[in-house]
Amino acid sequence: MTRNLLFLFGISLFLITACNNASKEAATVKNDTATMTVASFDTSAYNYVDKAVKIEGTVMHTCKHGGKRMFLIDGTDSIRVKITAGPDITKFDEALIGSKVRVFGILKEERIDTKYLNEWEAEIKKPEANHNVGVHSGAKGHEDQGAEDKLAQISALRDELKKSGKDHLSFFSIEATSFTELK
Amino acid sequence: MQRKTLRRWNNALHRDLGYLFFGMTIIYAISGIVLNHFKSGDFLHPDYGKSFKEFRVTLPPGGVVDKTYALNILSQVGEEEHYKSFVQGSGYVQIFFEKGSVYIDLTNGDAQLEKKTTRYVIKEFNLLHYNNIKKLYTWYSDVYAAAMILLAITGLFILRGKNGIIGRGAWLTAIGIIIPALFLIFYM
Repeated sequence: MTRNLLFLFGISLFLITACNNASKEAATVKNDTATMTVASFDTSAYNYVDKAVKIEGTVMHTCKHGGKRMFLIDGTDSIRVKITAGPDITKFDEALIGSKVRVFGILKEERIDTKYLNEWEAEIKKPEANHNVGVHSGAKGHEDQGAEDKLAQISALRDELKKSGKDHLSFFSIEATSFTELK
Repeated sequence: MQRKTLRRWNNALHRDLGYLFFGMTIIYAISGIVLNHFKSGDFLHPDYGKSFKEFRVTLPPGGVVDKTYALNILSQVGEEEHYKSFVQGSGYVQIFFEKGSVYIDLTNGDAQLEKKTTRYVIKEFNLLHYNNIKKLYTWYSDVYAAAMILLAITGLFILRGKNGIIGRGAWLTAIGIIIPALFLIFYM
């Protein structure tokens, strides 16, 4: 009986190791990838929407609700690049904070318009606010924002939208397909 | 099929699903308690324990932070060997080391040391509970969820008589349904 159980454990460990190695190897193949920098991200992002990109930066923050997002900076926190976990990424662990990483992924554009802001506002006014709704800035404490802070953020976005003279604001992020911690 | 045979199959299914999914149930139950209290704000992170300590530091000359200054600060808390990087923002600097950081208010020298302790095992349980793994695990956890439904239904018919579903069991089952319904009514 004990031998059978040990055999079962052995098979499980083998499968887990084999699967991990396969996903790492698959992640190493990169073609036609544009190199971006954190410093110029805001000004150049619109050129690469839905294209494969590579970026390096220091992890400033990871989302503690499941590790689906992280934010990269480069020396100062004036520009934060939002990275979201693609289907092949398990999570962005909190242990990455402060580490330099290289990320491969697809650049995504999120458009915020009046309709979006109205829906977000309505969501916040519900008793149980939805964590996934809204714009994640990566700033210290942004995940612990109360309803009033979020409503103030919406108001600021409405002003920004008005000033822009456009019907939407664009927020760019990278959906990561793979990443490496640089030592 | 005879009633007796049906009950035997019911009990066998309940027993075997119970054995098979014992591990998953423990994982989801323990992680569930952790995530419940994390969401209630009882602690700051589901995977890491965090401790904080306030202290004061000497400000950098001219307000400019460099690696030497960062290492000097870390030496005060015994973490200079675990230095990772630092970021300077408007009025503050945050120095990162392997298992934490030091946040310094550059206007007055107030500093806060944050240290992280990994909650091993619970961290892995949370990974499964959140389904961060995705892929095949999505299907396996669906199978587990379906098995939970079967376990609940078969559990109703294990006993006969006054302690079964037509006796005491009916009252307890009704109470178990009414309690979450009351929470919905009062809090929604």
